[in-house]
Order: sequence, then structure tokens, then C-alpha cells
Amino acid sequence: MPAAKLAVLPDHVLSAILTLAKRESGRSRFAFRGHDFQLQEIFSELVRTKKFPILGRFVFSDTGPEPYSPVLNESVSKLQLAGLIGRENPDYAVLFLRPSSEKFFDEDLAQQLSPDDMRQLREVATEFLNRVEVVGSTQP
Amino acid sequence: MRPEDAAPTSLEQRVDAFVQWLFQDYKAPLPKGPKVFNDALLGNQLFARHEVAVIDSPLLQRLKRIKQTGLVYHVFPSATHTRFEHSLGATTLAERCFNAIQDRASVEGKPLVVDADRYGGDLAHLRMAAMLHDVGHGLCSHASEQIYELLADLQEFKEKPAYVKNAPGEILSYLIATSPTFRDWFQETVIQGCQARLDLNTVADLILGKHEDRDKYFLAQIISSAYDCDKLDYIARDSYYCGLALTVDLPRFYSMISTARREDYRVLVLRSYVPLEQILFSKMTLFGSVYHHQKVKCIDSMLRSMVQHILYNPDQCAIDIRGKRITFADAVEYLYVTDDEFFGQTNGFGDAYIKSMLARFRTRDLFVRCLEISRRTVTNWDDGRQGLIDLAKLPAALKDVEDEIHKRLPAASRGHCNRDDVRLSIPGLPGIKTGYAYIQTSKQSEIEYIENYFPLEQWTDAYAHNKWRSYVYAPREVAQPVRDSAISVLRDRSKLEINARISNQACHL
Repeated sequence: MPAAKLAVLPDHVLSAILTLAKRESGRSRFAFRGHDFQLQEIFSELVRTKKFPILGRFVFSDTGPEPYSPVLNESVSKLQLAGLIGRENPDYAVLFLRPSSEKFFDEDLAQQLSPDDMRQLREVATEFLNRVEVVGSTQP
Repeated sequence: MRPEDAAPTSLEQRVDAFVQWLFQDYKAPLPKGPKVFNDALLGNQLFARHEVAVIDSPLLQRLKRIKQTGLVYHVFPSATHTRFEHSLGATTLAERCFNAIQDRASVEGKPLVVDADRYGGDLAHLRMAAMLHDVGHGLCSHASEQIYELLADLQEFKEKPAYVKNAPGEILSYLIATSPTFRDWFQETVIQGCQARLDLNTVADLILGKHEDRDKYFLAQIISSAYDCDKLDYIARDSYYCGLALTVDLPRFYSMISTARREDYRVLVLRSYVPLEQILFSKMTLFGSVYHHQKVKCIDSMLRSMVQHILYNPDQCAIDIRGKRITFADAVEYLYVTDDEFFGQTNGFGDAYIKSMLARFRTRDLFVRCLEISRRTVTNWDDGRQGLIDLAKLPAALKDVEDEIHKRLPAASRGHCNRDDVRLSIPGLPGIKTGYAYIQTSKQSEIEYIENYFPLEQWTDAYAHNKWRSYVYAPREVAQPVRDSAISVLRDRSKLEINARISNQACHL
């Protein structure tokens, strides 16, 4: 039986950005420093640029000293539950992509995204890569 | 038809119609004076006269008929505490927090400019917000919130920056507090009758975790933040009534709380992370032991069966609550129905299916788990399971999978299993922290994030890896065929390969 058509959810957008960032980094294993508050800061900056409508799913609160998007927070949790990302010992500040992330992107997600979605996601992935501290071996 | 006779259409209008319905024919004499309420957890709690008026109103009294932990009492028999006592407890804890902040500010040589007047000052507003923070809860509390939060009208609200941080129940509480009908009653009874000097807009903003004066933002955080009065009360209260020996050292927590400037805002900070660690650890334990207990999720799923059945069979199953016809077609309808009214109808209601489900609850003849989906049962776990996790946010797709499991049952089994009897439960991860929590070890120190002190994210990662479980539930008599059908459907739809033998051991099949 064919799988039902995929609805593109916020965690799919996050998953695509991380996968495309990995590919752009050229690394076989992609890991970066990413406490929740750091991800919130990066994505709120990217949303504020208003250059990427695809990030519109990540709505940030307009109250308090720092922008906060529960949808982004939940997306990270969902990707953890789905087994697409994980956190590393010893301090769990490092997020890494599991191989299943690329598999999901190639086999399920990519077919559902329009060319314009893909263009935006690639640009966001580049911006994201510029803003995170990639860790681990410098060897591709 | 006159325009004013038209059915209310917007969420705000429907909430106001609910408040009108709730307050119809309500006329009570003003309270004579303050009252002391005794609470099993917090002891004596003193409420001012205008607060007693609100407590006595149908809005708060209704919360006595809604259990704090929904249907958890079927698993933890003493967990019969209600949203009512939680609301009073949260009010008391909000004041304790307020006083503790003032004390520390005074001791540290920088007294805060806040008004502690109980009839019109910041403290009065804070207490009123805490009292009203849960009036937007409906049938079985969070058990129904998980169902109606996905409805379109609430989703639209959730996508607005002003509401994005708030749970559906908080949004409904805000809309109730700002409804024209409640405003009129509040003006007449609380402001004019009891001579309180309260601004309902400030109260309503506090419910959402907002304050127009940035220097008083910490007051909003006392109501809604990573360590607000709501969490402090429910963690202590739920563990107490569930009989879990968890320690929540509230006095220690309050002795460590202060405020500091961050950007333009005065925010809550903790002088030590230890009390917060203890509270968050208790919350994590509550998730593992209570909120995500397999039987609790089973009961939540059974409630979803009933709600879904009523929604799809309104002509046979609508429930009448004092003249209001309820089919659970929108979020506000969940407010009309309390736990007592839903489960307590002497002769039941609805069609044969609803009556049989009500009988199941009465006799605790609950569904059983037929299939466990977890790291130990899924043989291709490392391939990911996004297809499964997605279903939690896509109710139509989830129903489609459940229907398919039912459809693939052998004909003989299908005759003993209603379409709504097959339930797939996909819990989320425990939200152990919502928003930012700050540490400032002394008033000269930098403000830091709690994550720099202890690995909150490790807990959720470990939970996702080791403790998280999804289950398929069904009536005991069809458990094995449902298991086989579910294995087949989940293989086709979500690419999951499930080891039936290991699952059987886990589910005691």
C-alpha cells in the first residue's frame, strides 16, 4: 500500500534544514553546539529577516526579553522522538544528525517540497551553518 | 432572523455564549467578608472578600467538577483532587512567591516598587490571575485538551505571537476573563459590590504571562513561566494525591528566588539551581510514573474514542447539558461538560456504544495494550519513525490508521470490535521546561540559562531513548487480532518492523 501524502509539518522543515546544512558542510557526521536557547536565538534571527516564508511555521512570542517559539521547541522534541537527531555526552549541548535523518529527507520529504521550498530551505541551511559552531572532526 | 439571534461564530463569541450560559440565573448575595480555606497540602489559605465572590461564582465552582489529573484516579485511586483546589493553591503560592521576592529584594538592599495591597495592588491582580488561570479547562482537563487543541479555531489563535506561548486551556481562560459577560459580572460584583480596585485587562494579561509594564514582567512569570505557581502547585499536589513520595521543597525554592534586569524586562531569577532541579526532577518522575503511565494513556485513548464517536454520530450521541447540545465539534463545547456531568449521568446517554463505554468506565473494564512500540520492540528502530510521530499532530491521519487496523481485522473479530475501539496512542516528550529559566547566583553575577548548570536536555533525550512508549489499545477480547492487524498496518504505513514476541511480553498478552 502506498504511503499517504505527507503533510509538511514544522519538524519536517527543521529536519530538512539540518539535513541540507549537513550536506553543505560536507561532513559525513554533522554535529553542532545547540542548546535549546541557542536554536531559539538562531531561528528567531532568521524569521526576523522575513526572507524565508517557509519559516513562518515558527511563530515567536512577542512578550518577554527573549523570543521564544514553542513550535521550534516541540519540533526538536519530535525529531528526537522520531530518531532523526540526538544529543551527545557529556554535557548534551551538542546535537547531531542520525543517518535516518537523510533517509527521511530523501525518501519521504524531498518529494513533497516545491522547488521554491527547496530553494528557501537551502538558503536557510546556509545561514544556519554560518551561525552554529560545528563540532567534531574537521575531516569530511 | 435578527442579527443578534445569529449563532455566535468567532471563538471569542462562543466563549462569551458559554459564560452567559454558565451565569444564567446566577444571583448570589455578596460575601460577608474574607474566608479561610483549609487545604490538605498548603494549610490555611486566606481569601479577601472580593476573592470569595469569585470563588463562589459558577466559574470557579464549576472547577470542583473537573479532576485535576483527568481520569488518572482509575490508576491512582486517591488522585481525585480537582482544578478548584489547585486554583486556590496556585493563588496562595503566587502570593508566597511575591512575598519571597520582596523579602529578598529588601534583604539585598534594593527594595522593589510593587504594591502589596490585597484589594487593588499588584498582589491583588496577581492573586486574581492565579485564581482564574484554569477556568478554561473542560472535560477531564488535559485529556480533552489534547483532543481539542488540534481544532482549527484554536490553532489559528496559537499562530498569533500574542498567544503562541500559551496552552489551549490558558487561551480559553483568557477569553473567558475578557468576555463581555464576565466583565459585566466582575464590574458589578467585584468592583462595585466588594469595592476591589482591579483592572481585568491586567489580570487577563497575567494569565497569558504578559504585563504591560516591563518592570513588572516578573509578576507575569509568577503566573506563567518555567517555574510558575501553576507548576509548583500541581507538581506538589499531583505527587501528593497520587501517593508518590516526591520532595518538593517549596520554602527552599522561595528562599532562592529574586528578580533581575534582562534587556528591558525585570525577570525572575534563581540564586541557586538546586531547588529548581528538584522540582524538574519531580516533574519528570510524574511524567514517567503518572501522566505517561500506560494505563493512563489507555484511559485517555478511551475518552478519545467516546468523543470521536459522539462527533461522528451527533444525532444519536449528542449530550444535553442544561439545554446546551454538545457534540464536541469545537473547543468551547468541551467547557460545557465537566467530568461529573459526562460520567455521572444515571442512565448514560448516546447510543449503545457510548452506553457500553460509560459502563466500562463504571466497572473499570478498561481496554488493554495489544502492541508496544518502543526501542525494545521495533527491530528497525535506528531507521527512524517520523511517520509514526507525525500522526500525533494529524488527527485525520491517525484516525485513518486506526480505521485501517480495524478494517484489516478478520471478519469474526471485527464483529466484536467497534471501529472506535482501536486506539493508537502516541505521547509526546515531557515538556519539563517551558520558556526560559534563569540563574543568577548573586545580584552582581551574570544571568545565565539553567541549561548551563544542569543537563535538562539530557533528561528529555534519555526519556526519548529509554522510557518513551507508544501503544495500541483495544478491548481485551480482541487484543490479539488487533495486535496482528496493527503490526501489519504500521509496517505498511510507518515502515515499522515490530517484534510480536517481545511486544507480547511487554503487554502481558
